[in-house]
Amino acid sequence: MKNNSRIMAALLVTGLTLVFLTSPGLTEEEYRLTFDQFEQAKAFYDDPRPILKEWPWKRILPAEVYRKLTYDKTAMKNGWAELVGFRAPELVNRIAPEIKPGKYSCADKEKYPGLKELMWPTMYERFKPGGPPYPGNFSAFEVVPTKQYYPAMPIIAATMKHLDQAKLDDQGYLIENTYTAGLPFPQPGGKHKPQQIVYNWVKGYLSLENLYMLQQLKGYTAGLKEDFDSKAVYWALRLQARAYMAPDGWYDPRSQANGEVKAFAMQYLTPRDLYGNVITATMYQGWNDYDQFMIYLAALRRVRKLSGTDTQDAVAGMDVIYEDSGMWSQKITPEKHPYRYNIIADREYLVPAYTEDGAEYLGKHGLEWHNLKFERRPCYVLEMTQLDKSYVYGKRIAYIDKETFHILEIDNYDQKGRLYRTQTTIWAWHPEFGSYGMWQTLLIDHLDQHATWGMVYGHPATWINRKHVGMRQLIETGK
Amino acid sequence: MPCRKAFLTILILYVLATPGLSALAETYSVNDRPLNLVGYLTQGSAFSLSNGKYYDTEAGWQSAITTLLIEGDYRFTDNLKVYGAGMFLVDWIYDAKSDAGSWNDKLFSRSRSELYMDDRYWQMLKEAHVTWTPGNFLFRLGKQIVSWGETDGFRLMDQINPLDQRRGFADVEFESTIIPIWLIRTEYHTDVPWNWLTDLRFEAVLNPNADFIPNQPIKLGNDQGGIWAPNILVPLGPDTRAYLGSPDLDLRKPSAWSPDGMELGLRIRGTIQDSIITLNYFKGIDNDYVATSLPIQPRTDVAPDGRLVIHPAMKGYYPDLQFAGITFSRDLQSVQSSFLGGVAPVVRMEGFYAFDSTFANDINALEKHNELRWSLGLDWKVKISWLNPRAFVAISPQFYHRKIIDYPSDHELTGLDADNYMTTLMVKTSYLNGKLTPSIFWMRDVTTQSDMYRYQIDYQYTNNWIFKIGALVLDGNIEGKGFQVFEHKDQVYFSVSYRWG
Repeated sequence: MKNNSRIMAALLVTGLTLVFLTSPGLTEEEYRLTFDQFEQAKAFYDDPRPILKEWPWKRILPAEVYRKLTYDKTAMKNGWAELVGFRAPELVNRIAPEIKPGKYSCADKEKYPGLKELMWPTMYERFKPGGPPYPGNFSAFEVVPTKQYYPAMPIIAATMKHLDQAKLDDQGYLIENTYTAGLPFPQPGGKHKPQQIVYNWVKGYLSLENLYMLQQLKGYTAGLKEDFDSKAVYWALRLQARAYMAPDGWYDPRSQANGEVKAFAMQYLTPRDLYGNVITATMYQGWNDYDQFMIYLAALRRVRKLSGTDTQDAVAGMDVIYEDSGMWSQKITPEKHPYRYNIIADREYLVPAYTEDGAEYLGKHGLEWHNLKFERRPCYVLEMTQLDKSYVYGKRIAYIDKETFHILEIDNYDQKGRLYRTQTTIWAWHPEFGSYGMWQTLLIDHLDQHATWGMVYGHPATWINRKHVGMRQLIETGK
Repeated sequence: MPCRKAFLTILILYVLATPGLSALAETYSVNDRPLNLVGYLTQGSAFSLSNGKYYDTEAGWQSAITTLLIEGDYRFTDNLKVYGAGMFLVDWIYDAKSDAGSWNDKLFSRSRSELYMDDRYWQMLKEAHVTWTPGNFLFRLGKQIVSWGETDGFRLMDQINPLDQRRGFADVEFESTIIPIWLIRTEYHTDVPWNWLTDLRFEAVLNPNADFIPNQPIKLGNDQGGIWAPNILVPLGPDTRAYLGSPDLDLRKPSAWSPDGMELGLRIRGTIQDSIITLNYFKGIDNDYVATSLPIQPRTDVAPDGRLVIHPAMKGYYPDLQFAGITFSRDLQSVQSSFLGGVAPVVRMEGFYAFDSTFANDINALEKHNELRWSLGLDWKVKISWLNPRAFVAISPQFYHRKIIDYPSDHELTGLDADNYMTTLMVKTSYLNGKLTPSIFWMRDVTTQSDMYRYQIDYQYTNNWIFKIGALVLDGNIEGKGFQVFEHKDQVYFSVSYRWG
């Protein structure tokens, strides 16, 4: 042992020295917004400052990256209108046309009964002054003119290039090898129209292709007492159907061979009991290939394998299950927890507008949502009835923007038909990029009477690669 | 001296527990780099379910442990970070019971020097390490934890860091049981061209023996083991038995930086078709010592019940430990059942073969044998609607086997049979949106026919305030073996913890 140890020690010291001397320097600078900058720019409560104006992506991204990821707005508008067949402003102002752009408050409810008609029920229910049992009520808002939204030019190009190639089988499930890139069904229609809308959500580019994101969430009891406070960092990498950040198509031969669709990692900074935990997940194409979950458990200093099917329990402290993450991220497969899909409405709604400034905020008093802008949006209301009685939800109802295919709110009901969990999100909009991101979100557990409200800031990060979303991230970032 | 220590302790806790400390908890930016600081202050206590008539048991309150931990990390660059954790632990029971008659008569008060305050540098400085990740390498230098293995509740492959088990099996924070030591850890990640194998990593861990810190087990004798001292009776004659007290132990340890105490661990880790597999090799020093009795007259005391307490004279050392092993964990997706909620179980397995391990035997000698240790565990979440309509129930059984190769036929190894079996079962669920978590943990030492049961409820009032209440029940059928020696230690315990961050 004596000699072996001495030799090993000598080798290690020599190796360390060699690595140090030959290292090309630090790795490429990983440009990002820091948590401190996030918090300095926007306090969690009572802060109307427009963080997206103060910290636009242009300020974070290196000039070259910014130049690569921004496109001509007119070209994007025209291209997308051609693909979806309309511009959103053309489809609205048909319900309650008396509601014009301008400021409204609770006092206007009687004067403008059309407001009730224009909002979906859970939204209208929150149109009141802040107070128990949930945060996120709003007593005033401004109606702004409807805009046309569009994705980034390369996504438009990919959608055009592969138009009409994506096919569904007889049951309405995507035949994966018919889908290459872009949105698979820009003009959904026919027998499986609901499923086509679903696949536009599933295959959409909402989370960018290389995403770096900071997340602050707080939980509240029915008395609006704060009982959970979490900060986390998130890295995500799209592995299939890449269109606007190199490389195009499959990310690498491994993702193509294994049918890997997406991978992400999340590191908790707070609360203390989650500090140092890192989770990674890889999602797969195959119907029977469930997500690969791994966690670095700081408490044990170990990497643990988690079951890819353990997706129905509430995430620690929050009002969301894994399959609710990002609004709805359940694997679409006939093999497990399949749905019957139905479009129950195709109409306009008055919804929280995509934000360009991030001026919305939560007031400490009554936890009221302030500075909200509302916008008329053409929407599909998709009812998804769960066919497996053992699943946590019996039904989901999703309000989906007809132009962007983003879920704006999702209401989940338990197997007894009781409203269980809902999530409403204000999406951030970056016009010159043709890109979106989650901004503020409200999650409510109506059965346990608990809610979570949070702010998220994400930006494109070309430096994210495999190392950020796999085992290396667990080991190198974990406590 | 004790008064000074107590004063200093109160002062430290007062300063740290003032509201200003909460300002320490958060994420900061220093030179545009993230600095994270978190921590907790926990006050725990335990109350005996025994009436105190036994020599090894004190009636009433057993412990009043305050634990303060502050930890944080800072990134100098994207691939260079430091992490540190400091802990302060004190058991106020030694002050509270300093005037209690039975506490002094049963010699528990003498264990103060062992268990009152963790004030040695390696107890207060938990972790302090630098991590540098240039390219595909990872280097971590400093006082750290390297955790190998897959098993919960007992250790198998996890042999690098020593454990502090002096305060028994009741509710103790993780940070106060595992002892970080000075290590150099190197990892190399390689991107292999095969799609069936991903995340291939090579790891080398060197313990340069900067400071030899072995396991801190529950000690023999009330004067050293305190309230957790095992109740072991030794025969003196046909009808006479004495209590086994703390030994007068002549224990040989490797001196700091001595090559005799250096250790080497090697590990290869990869993900193969959704399974995490590791191959492990370790050559070093066992964290537990082996000892034999010395042929000299033992020191004795007299217990309050008039029975003799014998303090045997012993000599011992920390023997070599060398093993090669494997760990495996996999999601068994084919086993999922919709009837049980559709969650597939995760199987965890680990095992090693150790060469020439050293054992003490019942003829007061040491001998060497090869041995095999392996365990199999399962983590399965099932839906039991009548028990919990909203959340799953996590069920985790484990099985452990330790086989001594060429076990002697004419005598026994101390505390071990040829085949030794252990099982554990953890059942846990949560209510009220995860705030209330009841759990049951059962450990069965099959070989010694003894059991430990732990019933616990955690209530997370907020993520800052966490309350815990539990009961520990220990039982055994064979005198002097397994958990039987702790069967007077049944207790209920409570804790309240404030977490920053």
